[in-house]
Parts: sequence; structure tokens; C-alpha cells
Amino acid sequence: MNILLVEDEARIAKRVARMSREFFGSTIQNLVVCESVNGGIKYLSEHTPDLLLLDLNLNGEDGFDLLKSVTASAFHTIIISAYTEKAITAFAYGVLDFVPKPFDQERLNLAFRRLFTSGPKSEGKLEYLAVKKAGSIVLIDIKEVRYIKGAGIYTELHLLNGKKALHDKSLEKLEQLLPASFERIHKSYIVPINQAKEIIVHTGSKYLLELKNGEILPIGRSRYKELKRKII
Amino acid sequence: MVKFRFLFFLTLFLSSCKQDLHYEYTDAVYKNGDDLNWAKKNYDTSGWEKERDPKTAVFWSRVNVRITNRDPKDSISVGLGIHSFGSFDVYWDGVFVGKNGEFAKDKIHEVPGTEMSDFLLPDSLARSGLHTLALRTAQHFNTGELRGVDVKLQYYKALIQRPLVATSYMNLMAGAFLVAAFYYFFLYINSSRKELDVLIFGIICLLFFALLGVEHVKFYITIPYSHFYTRLEIVGWLTFAISLLVPFYFTIQFYFKKKFWLLGLQLLILIWIYIDNFRHYDWTAMLFSYTMWFFSLIIVVNALFRNVKGAWVVFVGLLMSAVASAFIVYDFFLFICYTLIVLSMLYLHTIRAKLLEKEHQSSLILSSRLKLELLKKNIQPHFIKNTLTSMIDWIEESPKDGIVFIQALAKEFDILNQIGEETLIPVAKEIALCKAHLKVMQFRKEINYVWEQSGIDELDLIPPAIIHTILENGITHSMPSIDKIITFKLSFEKQGGNKQYKLLTIARNRENGIEKKTGTGFQYIAARLTESYGDQWTFESQAVPEGWLTCIKIHAG
Repeated sequence: MNILLVEDEARIAKRVARMSREFFGSTIQNLVVCESVNGGIKYLSEHTPDLLLLDLNLNGEDGFDLLKSVTASAFHTIIISAYTEKAITAFAYGVLDFVPKPFDQERLNLAFRRLFTSGPKSEGKLEYLAVKKAGSIVLIDIKEVRYIKGAGIYTELHLLNGKKALHDKSLEKLEQLLPASFERIHKSYIVPINQAKEIIVHTGSKYLLELKNGEILPIGRSRYKELKRKII
Repeated sequence: MVKFRFLFFLTLFLSSCKQDLHYEYTDAVYKNGDDLNWAKKNYDTSGWEKERDPKTAVFWSRVNVRITNRDPKDSISVGLGIHSFGSFDVYWDGVFVGKNGEFAKDKIHEVPGTEMSDFLLPDSLARSGLHTLALRTAQHFNTGELRGVDVKLQYYKALIQRPLVATSYMNLMAGAFLVAAFYYFFLYINSSRKELDVLIFGIICLLFFALLGVEHVKFYITIPYSHFYTRLEIVGWLTFAISLLVPFYFTIQFYFKKKFWLLGLQLLILIWIYIDNFRHYDWTAMLFSYTMWFFSLIIVVNALFRNVKGAWVVFVGLLMSAVASAFIVYDFFLFICYTLIVLSMLYLHTIRAKLLEKEHQSSLILSSRLKLELLKKNIQPHFIKNTLTSMIDWIEESPKDGIVFIQALAKEFDILNQIGEETLIPVAKEIALCKAHLKVMQFRKEINYVWEQSGIDELDLIPPAIIHTILENGITHSMPSIDKIITFKLSFEKQGGNKQYKLLTIARNRENGIEKKTGTGFQYIAARLTESYGDQWTFESQAVPEGWLTCIKIHAG
């Protein structure tokens, strides 16, 4: 586990580092502390951590740019901030959790545990998927998504307008961020329920999902029952 | 002559309901010397001169007057008004009816009469038909001055009363301008802004009051003919001053650029008019007024093109005064035109006052906003929550240090509370605030903050929390030296009335971490300095080899 911590308050940085070590124990390979956002960006341009702990002052313009940039990356981001009123914005852009200051070990552990639980649980707060496109970050409204297909360590976002976009996060990580209206139908597919038309059952327990545009996607055998319950 | 026409017009103007006497009269004829026989009604004046000899001080003049419409039954007393120079005995149809001043053959015994005199005519001698007016005159003063003899016949009561009625109107107006003048002078004296236009407007009102007064003073003060021109001279200079000040006022009100070029040109023209028309009093005053009107028009039209508020009102006022001048004789025009202009100026002034009121209100809003901002410094989440998070950590690790931390925070809050309502505080208090803040930040950042100061005058007053704000920026945008030290050096210099505070931050500057002049920190400092010093301050902030230097200069004034 590689963790990057961006925090300009020395005392708080020490506290977060200490608590992270307590939670992750020996699984931590590397914990780097940057005391400025610029330093953090520089580090990220050369390394890809597994988790980013970010103290972000979202009141400035730069804060949002940075937020888009980190949420478009492969790793999960947990914001640790004094500006609790910005939590909704942070969730909308796709952070794993928002830990308000002041915090204790328990609250931080709660955020860390989200890394390991699968399935949608962010209470439907995600609104945009930030994707890297030609050197800049584009925000895609999740309402524009027809389905998401896993492609190795990346994912393909298939959009309602027929276009495709590539997201750096894995299907598992996106599943952790997406609201409950998105359903994992297969090890390689996530579909928004409102795009599903009907379940087609073939002989030999082969299940397929027909989308509203006529596209057909496979349904994982173990996921059929849950999906059927949701569609009906 | 013009004065006479004015009176005549005024009489017509004010007495439309009452029938006047109709009469006509010839030009005067003159003869040098003195002979009481020359008073007789039917004396033969062939051989008398049409022009008076300007070298002779003792002479007679005769005028033939024909009354054309007097009702034979009319028994109301008739009065005779004479406009002429000199001291004279008046004979009407050979009968002595009165005197103006004291006739004498030498200068010592002459008591100068006045230019405008009134006499009661015997009723038997004021019937329709031809009459003779003979004046036995001494003009030892201004002997060379050739004034004609103007005759006015009117019912006696009206002759005396009407000029006074007209004068009362003018005095009423003059009184209004006097009050306005006082009002604007008081406004100027008691205003902290000392606006030039207020002063000028007050002066214009006062001059206009004086002009109205001097113009009509002749009706109730007997001015010896030897001082007749003194009054006209005063009228001329008052008109001169008003003609220059009115456009000057408009240049200020309408933000006219290059005003001193324009006014310089106008001054030259006015002086030229004065020299070129020397001793043509009424004519000079009229030209002055035309010049004033023309230059005001230039300024107003310019303002119209620039869409300045109130320009239309003044433009209409100027046009109305031009229309008035086409229909009304000069004396009346002068006052109607001036009144219109002054009224439009007054209107402009109310517009200006409204603007000032708005400015005042926004300054009040600014002050309360600044108070709020200072209050927010206490409770902004970035400060308070980061402090609390650090504090929890300190308490968990070392409760003793945690308590010191809490006390330092309490001290900072105390001072912020004390200065919250102030616009200026002693610098000693500001320094105490900075030190308390550094102590808090030391716990949070685990950096050794060192405070140094030199040349501080502890009682000097500065706006609250401005050095504190610079300090906050310094903490945010500086990296400590390798031994974890950041030093702040505050120094103070005073030269004459100019004061200068310098805060040097000795540290490494962060990249891109420079607080720009649009940052909220700078905005707070700028608003606070403006609140207390207007535009008499400068703020400079720049990188220096040691770190960062911020310099606030407050100028005298």
C-alpha cells in the first residue's frame, strides 16, 4: 500500500500518518507527506499511489481543478478538510470519502474501511465521472452513461450519445463510487438500471440483458437473481 | 438711457391694470451761464445748443413736454421724474417745483444731486397740452460727463411706489440667494471633504445677492451723481466675477477636462471686453454675461456628449435664458437668465448631494462589512478547525502543552474581540495579536516563529488586523529554514507626517504562493486603509533576497 498525504499543517499530518499506520499496519509500504498542494501535484506526476489523503481548500479555483484531476486518476481519494460544506461537491466529483476536521481515529478508520467493501455505497452522491481526455479533464454526467465495461485496469464508459470514454479507475473502484441506481451485472459490466429493457434467458442458464437501445450485454450467473429483483 | 427704458418697461410690466399718463418730450437744449428768465415757459430757445459745453459747469437746459391724454376731470397728483446729472433747480412752466441737490456757482457750495429725482407737479400745470421743463444746473463734478435729460411723467404715487415694488421683488430674490450662500458656506466649513464646488457655489450665490442689491440700491439710497459710476463699476466687477465662476462651477460638476485652458481663455476674453469697452458699463456687463453663457454652453454640450448626469437640465436652463434674452430688455434678462442658471446649478447640486449620500451609505456598509470580516477571521473554518484538530492531537499526546496551546488561542480570541469594533487601534495591540497568532501557529505548524521589531511607536494608530493579515500570508506562503525557523521583522519609520510600516519575512518563499493584489487578504488591508486614510496610502509587497517584504506607507494629509 502506497499512500500520499497532502497536508500543510505539520501537527495534523503527523496525526494522519500515525493513524494510517495504526490502521494499515505492515501493509503500508510507503507513506509520503507533502506539505503543499504543489508538492503533491509534483509527486503525483511521477508516482501513482494506491490512496491519496488530501487536505483541500476548495474555496479557490485551483481546488476544483485538483479535485477533477485526482478523481480522474486510478487511485481512490479521501479528502480531509475543514470545509465540511464542500463535502457534497467532493462526493459529486467522485471522492471515496470526506473526513471533516477535527477527526479522530474512528472516523478515519471508517473512511479507510470503504477501500475494502465492494458495491455501491456512496449514497448516490456521485454526479460526475472525471475522465482524462487529450491532456485535460472532462466531466461526464453519470446520467449520460449507458453502461460501463471493465477493460483490464481501465474502464470504458459507453455513453448515451454513442461515444466512448476511458476512465483510469478499475471497474471495482468505480463500483465503490457509483450510486445504487448502477448495478454490476457481470464481472465486466455495470449498467444503470434505467437503461435496462429486459432480461433474456437462453437455454443452459445463459442470461443476457437487452438495453433500451437494443444492445445486448451478458449477465453473470451469480448476479441474475439480484438483477431480476431490481428490474421487476 | 437703458436704465430709463428698464424703469419704463418695469412700470408697464407692473401696472397693466391702471392707465398711465401719455406724454412725449423733445431732446434737451442747453445754454451756458445763469439767468432766471430762462425758466419762463414761453422763452425763445432758438440759439440754444443741442449739445452741452463739456467745459462749463453752470448752465441751463430746457425740454418741451406734451401731455396728450389727461382727462380734464382727473385730479390725481402727477409726478415728474428726471434722470440727469448735476445739482439743479427745477422749473415747470416757469414755476419752481423743487430742487435736486444744491445749485451753486462754485464747486465748494454745490451739494451734488442724484441721478434720478422725483417732483410733485402743481395740478393746474399738469393738464393736457404743451409744457416746458427748465433746469438751472450746476455740474462742478464730472463736468465733462454729457448726460442728457430724460423726463418721466406719472401719477405721483405710482412714480414713487413702482420702483420700490420692483425692488422688493428683487430683494426677495436677493434674500434667497443670501440664505443659499450662507447655507453653502456652512456646508463647506463643516464638511470634512472641503469640496471646491460647494465653496464656489456659495460664492456665486453671495455675488449674485450682491449684484441684485447693488443694482437696485439706487431706489432707496440717494447716491450723489458724482458717485453715479461707482455703483456701475461695482456691478461690472460683480458680473465679471460671476461670469468667470459659473463656467468654472460647471467644469467641476461636469468633470470637464482641460478646464483651466478653457477658463484661461475666458478670462482673457473678459479682460479684453473690459478694456475694449472701458466705461461702457451696461454694455460691458452684458458682454460679460454673453461670454458666461457661451462658455457654459460649451461645457454643457461637452457634458451632453459624455452623457453626464444633469447636463440636460442645465442645457435647457441655458436655452431658456437665451429665449428670455430675445424678448426681455437686458436688465431683466440679466436676472432671469442668472436665476435660471443658478436654479439649474442648484438642481445639479442636489444630484451631487444624492451621490454623496450614496457614497456615505456605501462607506457605512463597507465599515460594517469590515467588522464582519474581522469577526470572520475568528471563526473561519480553515483557521478554527485546523487549530482544533492540532489541539486534539496535542492534548492526546501531551495534555500540558495542550493547555498552553488553548491559552494561546484564548489570548488571540481576546485581542480580536477587543479590536472588533474599532477602525484604528494602537500598534502595540496589533503586535500583541500577531504574537498570540504566532504562538498558536507554532503549535500547529511545529515551526519556530520568531518576532522582532524596531522603531515601534507603541501608541501609533493603525487599522486593526492589517499586520496580522500580512503575517497570515507570510505563514501560508513561506517555508522555514532548515532549522525550522521563520522570522518576522516589523519596523516603523516616521518622516514628517509620513509613516511607514515594513514587515520582513525571513524564510524561503513557496513557488506560486505569492498573494496577488486581488487576494482576499489584500482586499481586506486595502479596504481598511481606505476606510481610515482615503487614497493617502500605498501598499507594496515583493520578494527580497531574505524572503518577502511588505511595506505600508501612510501619507500626511
